[in-house]
Amino acid sequence: MNAWHVHADLMGRYLSGSLDPALAMSVDAHLGGCAACRAAVPYEEEWLAGGWQRLADEAGLPASGPAERLLLRAGLPGHLARLVTATPTLSRAWLVAVVAVLAFGVIAARQTDQALPLFLVLAPVLPPAGIAAAYGPRVDPAHEMLAATPLSGARLLLTRSTAVLATAFALAGLASPLLPAPPWLSAAWLLPALALTSGCLALSTRVPLPLAAFAAAGLWLTGVAAAAGAAGDWRVSFHPAAQILYGCAALLLTVLAYRRRDRLDPGEPR
Amino acid sequence: MTIHVKGLTKRFGRKHVLNGLDLTVTPGVTGLLGPNGAGKTTLLRCLATTLAPDGGSMDVLGLNPADRVQRTELRRRLGYLPQDPGHYPHFTAFDLVDYVAILKEITDRRERHAEVRRVLAEVDLSEQAKVRVRRLSGGMRQRLALAQALLGRPDLLILDEPTVGLDPEQRMRFRAVVSKVGESRTVLLSTHQTEDVAALCERVVVMDGGSAVFDGTPGGLAATAAGRVWLSEDPPDAARLFWRTADGRYRTLGERPAGGGAAEPGVEDGYLLLLGDRARVAA
Repeated sequence: MNAWHVHADLMGRYLSGSLDPALAMSVDAHLGGCAACRAAVPYEEEWLAGGWQRLADEAGLPASGPAERLLLRAGLPGHLARLVTATPTLSRAWLVAVVAVLAFGVIAARQTDQALPLFLVLAPVLPPAGIAAAYGPRVDPAHEMLAATPLSGARLLLTRSTAVLATAFALAGLASPLLPAPPWLSAAWLLPALALTSGCLALSTRVPLPLAAFAAAGLWLTGVAAAAGAAGDWRVSFHPAAQILYGCAALLLTVLAYRRRDRLDPGEPR
Repeated sequence: MTIHVKGLTKRFGRKHVLNGLDLTVTPGVTGLLGPNGAGKTTLLRCLATTLAPDGGSMDVLGLNPADRVQRTELRRRLGYLPQDPGHYPHFTAFDLVDYVAILKEITDRRERHAEVRRVLAEVDLSEQAKVRVRRLSGGMRQRLALAQALLGRPDLLILDEPTVGLDPEQRMRFRAVVSKVGESRTVLLSTHQTEDVAALCERVVVMDGGSAVFDGTPGGLAATAAGRVWLSEDPPDAARLFWRTADGRYRTLGERPAGGGAAEPGVEDGYLLLLGDRARVAA
């Protein structure tokens, strides 16, 4: 049985916060086991109930996934982190497919120099392919439900596209240094990838997104093959002059896609 | 007046799905009845801003959905349950509603989570909050889709066949939720269940061929069948619209069959008589 109780003077100092930490902890411990002393501690019932409710709410929250935690640590606001990580394309299957394509390109290039173009030609196609599978009624099971929300249309598509683009760039960027080529050539896929992505988004204001991605990729592959055939050198599509062209195209197409962004909204009159 | 639609048209290829539709919807619960292909879903999609009509004008909550800025404002104020809501099966029930809440611009985490819990409780899914969607039954998924539509206490609730897949108890609960919303706001729902209309709706609009062919109260729709509903012991002429009831008698619509006695008409009788030949095919 506990015969000792917190006397009035000690309680007063405890409540004012002027006790030294060791003594305050002793009082804490005593209050935990003594209902009589606890009853002498004034508190606001509403404030306490609110505190318990907040604690219960926090404890009941679903745990964030590793990708979401990573984005939160990178400083992205919580709602954007959740929005990005829920992008349908960013599924394990898509990531495995991208890694497999890149790994195949790197391994083939290291086996024989003649396989190097394979990586450089395929890497730019990955972002538009991912974006095509990220938005739209054919690929997103909840598209119709989400289309009636204020963030649908261009805002949702561009958020998802950014997430896909960043992921594809990060993976291709990690694979590039493994290529048996000078650094400028290993990174020569970057600007074509940007141009293809912008082109795909700009074209999707006219035709469905998968068709736009298919057209952009087809144009790229045909162009590279035609240029290589005409010049007798596959590198011609990756030379500095061509890179300037890709950079300009990426810029212009991004502006075009932005100006036509309203057309990405399913509710926009045609 | 919440919705005012005038001369609305929509065509898919050569098929005219909405044919110069005129419609006004006021606060309360309004039901849309009609056979498959009548244009109900297309109308609801246009009102929910997920589909642009080809012609005509729409005024929804005083806003014009054809205008980008007003359309976004309208989306902030409406809740929409599509006919085929679709789900992300790997999400939990909580995550799915939370995701839609983010898209409805509820960015504050604490406020959003409190709202998600509220709507999950409203549809009796609190216990399943952490269950993955793929593990939920069809009825639970439908309630989950209803939960996301209730986010943010919308001024206008558009529900496309919301009672599909619900068992009788769940339907009763759904009716309670919807009628509560309809006390102060506007609910427009399409259904094939005439009993839902009779139990829930203050107004009913029957659509056929892309136009409204009836607009009135459920009682008014039932009254259109007055003097044309009969009960008889023997089956009538096969050319008539009839069915065998639970007590073994035959309920016939239209001309009086031999030996038939007059019966109290219901919403379903009025609806079937209004549709005429198509109702006979459906029956």
